Amino acid sequence: MVLNTRDYNLARGAADILPRLAKMGLPGEVKPEITESMIEINSSVNKTYDGLRRELMQVRDGIVATAERLNLAVAGGGSHPFHRWHERRIYPTERFKRVSALYGYLAKQFTVFGQHIHVGVTSGDDAVYLTHRLAPYIPHFIALSASSPFYQGEETSFETSRLHAVSAFPLSGQMPAVHSWAEFNEFFDEMKGYGIVESMKDFYWDIRPKPEYGTIEVRICDTPLTVVRAAQIAAYIQTLCAHLLRVRRTEPVEPMYRVYGYNRFQACRFGFDGNLVDPYTRAPMRLREDLMASLTRIAPDAEAMGTREALAALDRIAKTEANDTRWLRERYAETKSLNDVVRLQSEKWSGTAAAKD
Amino acid sequence: MNASYLPSLPFQLSYALLFGVLLVAGMLGGELARYFRLPRIIGYVLVGFVFAPLTSAMGLGLLIDEARIFVELALGLVLFDLGRRMDLKWMRRDWSLAVTGIAQCGLTFAAVFYTLLAFDLPSIQAGIAAAIAMTTSPAVLLLIVHDTRAEGQVTERALNIAALNGLLASIIVTILLGSTHYVARTDVESAILHPAYLFVGSVLLGAAMAWAARVIARAVERDREVHFTLVAGLVVAGVGLAQELKLPVILALLAFGLFSRNDERGYELLNVNLAPVGRLLYIVLFVITGASMPLPMLLTGGAVAFAYVAARFAGTVLGVMAVAPLGGLRTRQAIGLSLALLPMSSIALLLTHDIARLYPAFERDLAPIVVGAIIVMEVVGPIAVQIGLRIAGDTVPEPEGSLEAPRAA
Repeated sequence: MVLNTRDYNLARGAADILPRLAKMGLPGEVKPEITESMIEINSSVNKTYDGLRRELMQVRDGIVATAERLNLAVAGGGSHPFHRWHERRIYPTERFKRVSALYGYLAKQFTVFGQHIHVGVTSGDDAVYLTHRLAPYIPHFIALSASSPFYQGEETSFETSRLHAVSAFPLSGQMPAVHSWAEFNEFFDEMKGYGIVESMKDFYWDIRPKPEYGTIEVRICDTPLTVVRAAQIAAYIQTLCAHLLRVRRTEPVEPMYRVYGYNRFQACRFGFDGNLVDPYTRAPMRLREDLMASLTRIAPDAEAMGTREALAALDRIAKTEANDTRWLRERYAETKSLNDVVRLQSEKWSGTAAAKD
Repeated sequence: MNASYLPSLPFQLSYALLFGVLLVAGMLGGELARYFRLPRIIGYVLVGFVFAPLTSAMGLGLLIDEARIFVELALGLVLFDLGRRMDLKWMRRDWSLAVTGIAQCGLTFAAVFYTLLAFDLPSIQAGIAAAIAMTTSPAVLLLIVHDTRAEGQVTERALNIAALNGLLASIIVTILLGSTHYVARTDVESAILHPAYLFVGSVLLGAAMAWAARVIARAVERDREVHFTLVAGLVVAGVGLAQELKLPVILALLAFGLFSRNDERGYELLNVNLAPVGRLLYIVLFVITGASMPLPMLLTGGAVAFAYVAARFAGTVLGVMAVAPLGGLRTRQAIGLSLALLPMSSIALLLTHDIARLYPAFERDLAPIVVGAIIVMEVVGPIAVQIGLRIAGDTVPEPEGSLEAPRAA
């Protein structure tokens, strides 16, 4: 999110930051998003956690330096704590103007900030398999990345308020229970035949295959407050995918989707304290325990992928419940001012604050 | 029968009544201007233009003079707000910002100074008039920014440069005044001490007010409304103190704003939005500014006043266009920035008044030129800012989206 340095409200700045960044020759790409207070950071393709972390820190430093010269600040976080959605301005590209014309106020309300994680797969069938099998882990990703407890100036009581902005779109939700790439293509062609979608971009699913890139894309996470946390979460998902491809689960997917909405809500509302339902064992469990069990389960894969350090950090967060939402709430309790919270948030993202992680 | 409970005629126009009438009349003028898609400010000023002959016909001219307290309060608020917007850290990080301001000031000063010399004005008078030409009206700029909900690089840079050129102009005028002391052979002491008192005194007063604001802010709850009252109260008190201490309101309140913003240690004072109270004072400010403009002076000033306006325009545009693009501004943004710096209003007027009060002799030479130029710029300036911010893309665009369903492809 792009902020002014006066009261730390969202600011128009993407159109000034992006051309300056383009001249710096940073890896990956930085792109505009639906409103002028957003920039989207795309990393290049990274195979290792360490490479991704380094690259994100390099890009971050470039962005911070550029923004400073424009008297702007940049921060992470799933939503801006106190901005008013109607004050946002649509970034003037053809696509965004079209989206805005179609969705009306939803377009400006969509000024929320998510981290999308792409994982490369070797076949369409694997993409469909992973899209389904990652679904039970969605609550983990939510609890770990949650960083939007405040919305439009209010405490929402949710760990993440951002996901409600996503749910309002008609094509949000999950992929239907198709079982192979061929079946998926049938479904897609049918939707395209109706004129409902033009490309995969039109589906706002939590997880979706992205055939153009040869990846699956996890879109559930709030943008964390630091790029290091972002890399850690990406490492968890990457390791999880490797694990799932190794063990190949075969349970039917339908029961899992019956509890999907409930589990997702529990994670959004209560975070690590959420109560999850396992449709296969039918046993209730705490999100925290489920997450820690999962981290233990994939530990061997983490060893092979070089993500042990990242997963250890996430394990600590789960144990202490010290996610970004908690950090934001604590800062608000200290300062009693959301403006100050955002200022501290931008210092944390910039790496200037003595950020205890 | 004792009828003393009945009102006596003729009415005495009290402050309350005057303020109310100015406010409502100004608002109506503003809405009329908007109907013609002009900035509201033009409406306020035009109401003032009409008001002046009316009040003097009714024998109320003096009251308008006394209503200057509203003007000082409004200006105090404007300058405090401007000072709060000025960001010294930014100027350190992006050299092009301060340099753009200095180029604008330098070229404007030079252009106006030599133009006036060509019209046979003595050099000290020409210097003072040229220094006044450097200023941008922060009131016009802030109000149009507010009305058009402008936001972006050009808006922020224009406000920072307006603060900078106001500051530089006040300093130069103060120094030039010192040199007139010297020329007038009063004594060397007042030639140095008076300007020094004005400058140092204002800065100290501003710093003291900011310190007081912080101390009180720490003691009360961090609540928006509480801090709003605190800031509004201290701004008003600051204006009063500056007058009492015979210090320039402009510099003192600018310093107050600057010190309350550029504080790196604490963030005790909330950045409250003063717009609600600001709007009322702004309207009255512009109506009174309009009313205090002797329109016939435009004729006395004549060609020189127009030459002054033209030279100022050239200096501002050249100065900004020469430097701003080096800081990465797009051409449209640079053009927008130079237009946004054009308005000239109450600050220039106040500086002229201050000088005329100290040296009535100057009034004859300077006032027709500067006031003539201000009269022109009261109308041209707001339009220039509005166009400039629109060209730069900082104003709110036409409403996006429509209520109709898109046609099927």
